[in-house]
Amino acid sequence: MRIIARFSKGENVRFVSHLDVQRLFHRALMRAGLPVEFSNGYNPHPLTSFATALSVGVSSEAEWLEVRLKYDVEPQDFLDRLNASLPNGFRIEEAFANEGDGGGSLSSCMVAAEYALQFTCNSHEAAVRLTEDAFDLLNGPIVVTKRTKRAGSKEVDIRPGIFYIEITFDDEVVRMLVVCELTSTGGTNPELLVKALMDRAGMCFGYRIHRKCIYSADGSYMPKYHAIVMPSDTVTT
Amino acid sequence: MDNSVFDALLTSVEKPARYMGGELNSIYKQNALFSFALCFPDVYEIGMSHLGSRILYNVLNKRDDTFCERVFTPWVDMERKLRDCALPLFSIETRKPLNEFDIIGFSLLYEMSYTNILTMLDLSGIPFYSRDRGEEHPIIMCGGPCACNPEPIADFMDVVVIGDGEEVVNDIMDVYAACRRDGMSKRDTLLAMAHIDGVYLPSMYEPVYEHGRYTGTVPMCTSVPATTVRRVLRNLDGAEYVGKLIVPFMAIVHDRIALELFRGCTRGCRFCQAGFVYRPLRERSVETLMDSARSIFDCTGYDEISLFSLSSGDYSAIHELVPAIVDEFSGRNVSIALPSLRIDSYLKQDLEKIRTVRKTGLTLAPEAGTQRLRDVINKGVSEADLLRSVRDAFESGWTSVKLYFMIGLPTETDEDIRGIADLARKVTAEFYSLPKNSRGKGLKVTVSVSTFVPKPFTPFQWDAQISPIEIRRRQLLLKEALRGMRSVEYQYHDSATSVLEAVFARGDRRLARVIEGAYKRGARLDSWDECFNADAYAAAFEAEGISTEEYAARVRSTDEVLPWDHIDMLVKKSYLVRERDKASRAETTRDCRMGCNGCFGDKYEDYCKVL
Repeated sequence: MRIIARFSKGENVRFVSHLDVQRLFHRALMRAGLPVEFSNGYNPHPLTSFATALSVGVSSEAEWLEVRLKYDVEPQDFLDRLNASLPNGFRIEEAFANEGDGGGSLSSCMVAAEYALQFTCNSHEAAVRLTEDAFDLLNGPIVVTKRTKRAGSKEVDIRPGIFYIEITFDDEVVRMLVVCELTSTGGTNPELLVKALMDRAGMCFGYRIHRKCIYSADGSYMPKYHAIVMPSDTVTT
Repeated sequence: MDNSVFDALLTSVEKPARYMGGELNSIYKQNALFSFALCFPDVYEIGMSHLGSRILYNVLNKRDDTFCERVFTPWVDMERKLRDCALPLFSIETRKPLNEFDIIGFSLLYEMSYTNILTMLDLSGIPFYSRDRGEEHPIIMCGGPCACNPEPIADFMDVVVIGDGEEVVNDIMDVYAACRRDGMSKRDTLLAMAHIDGVYLPSMYEPVYEHGRYTGTVPMCTSVPATTVRRVLRNLDGAEYVGKLIVPFMAIVHDRIALELFRGCTRGCRFCQAGFVYRPLRERSVETLMDSARSIFDCTGYDEISLFSLSSGDYSAIHELVPAIVDEFSGRNVSIALPSLRIDSYLKQDLEKIRTVRKTGLTLAPEAGTQRLRDVINKGVSEADLLRSVRDAFESGWTSVKLYFMIGLPTETDEDIRGIADLARKVTAEFYSLPKNSRGKGLKVTVSVSTFVPKPFTPFQWDAQISPIEIRRRQLLLKEALRGMRSVEYQYHDSATSVLEAVFARGDRRLARVIEGAYKRGARLDSWDECFNADAYAAAFEAEGISTEEYAARVRSTDEVLPWDHIDMLVKKSYLVRERDKASRAETTRDCRMGCNGCFGDKYEDYCKVL
């Protein structure tokens, strides 16, 4: 059977890389004694697949994985046993049996992701200025330098990949709720927005990014994405 | 350390998982009386791969009165960051500054980690030299294989542990607890530790020179013994092991379940320090090992078990153990790796079983290229044995073999070097002589060559290391001899660190100033090629007026007083002399399971059960 689960990655483990997360799940599944199916071949590995990677330093409550099991296990039982063996900071939030045998992979149905960004400024004035810079930035194309897989880098406009943004501030802290594109082939990493913002402001801020949700096109497992048409003037403060 | 400060640090370094802590099975204690910083003088992924540290972490944390935390050398990026922010080096568990611990213990695994000790002390504002430290500073100790000649780092240490650590750390903590209870001074606390077997207190001794000639290191007070006798853990099978093993988030070098089958080795290879300083042979039972394997698997979920000993194939119950592990764990997709293993026909059946799980590389260590030189070093492996082993392995589906050799061994000639290439050629020939359907695809033979470093407490402790120029000449000679050989890859190392290893392995107390000088000139993480700074060392030697040749390239006379003569590792010096004489005649000494060779003499005879 296949089990689909959503898990969270807490602040204390946000520096654990994607590769390390995969490995620690494999080990946790083994410790939990769950009947994980293995691949064939010289180097058998547990058949798990993760919807998407999460950048190092980003926490999340919306990570998704699929595990193939040799025989049926109640999703609640799966959740309880895995939670008992996961290291502190990782927690399965919900688990479902994936009845349909075929179906697309978790990553193929992703369309967008929602992030909470938090900036800590030195002063209230700096926070106000950051907010103004953010408005400015969103009014036009946001061209950033993106490193490419092949050696080198290229200029890209990330503005079209930002679907929705909401900005609030509270004394020295600026918060942004950002929905941006996320598909199996790419999307817009909110860190690029942060970088563009720092460039615009001409200074560095302490910041935190937290993934709140991954949206799907069809609403199976992951919440369904309803496009919000966002003219720039709906940005709120 | 404040969370936001810590976050800022982690955000700015390359591998934050090195400093993060919070790994599965790491230990956090609230109300322990004493704090112990278990320090490994290298980065996290190296230190966490050290079995001895894992054992000591468990042993120390078993005590209610002690909270043992881990501290590693920061990588250069973190070191810079700590200095920029004026932050002290901190522990992994609670991020406590190193200088706030009661006791700091370093594991000494290789000479090229010595400057890392200074990095760690310096980042915590702790003076390097024990004489410059006061009551407010932690007690600083060290142990591990390099501690058998502790003199180069003796001035930095309050306590040096000679021998097995499992029991002695408890003895040290017991004495420490009693002294603290009685409000004793640091000096009195140290003196109280002098009575513990295996404890050496360097500051209570002084090297003596007469007319510029070294005549020995002698006690300066009557409360310490003239020689420190190595501590031996008699009952390994009943000893504590790693407990609930920590599972790191990041990949470490040895990321698997390690089963230490036995300690000690009966073969007596003459270049091998471990082969002499871990005697006698002490085995764990199959039952104990299987229990360990089970409990470590249950608490880690690791997918690989490795057999860890000086010569795992010599384990008396190897043909019971390997099938037992395979039977129990193959269903859970746990593979078994057999490092430095001698393959014989029995094992071939075991190998078939291993292959059903997962293949790991095969490593063999002939060490020398000709039978004559293998006899000189007493490496009891014949060419026929070796070729039979690789043939068995190839027939069982192995396609990758790593062969370890040394160059610069005493009496080595160019013929011995070319012998390495011949042996590599014969190994590949074994593979290609098999019919295509009974061998795997894509042979890879790696010839890995290191440079011989004469080590204390071996029959070669008096011998010279070949010069750096000669090292390079022989490396290139071998490269030439291997040229164009199909499927063979040649790996060798820069000569500079080998020379330094030879200097520090047989060094004396004068070298502390060199280590300090090299550190101050920027030497960091010397065992990492990308960090090693040869100029810093060269300048430090020059500033101290010390020549490396004096230590590395000089043949010592067997009646010369050696800087480590006040350390008694149980094996008699006269035995080492005898072995050296036999080496010069290319005469071998039998494996001591075949009959006692008398290495301990009468005095310690009862330590050894292999009679």
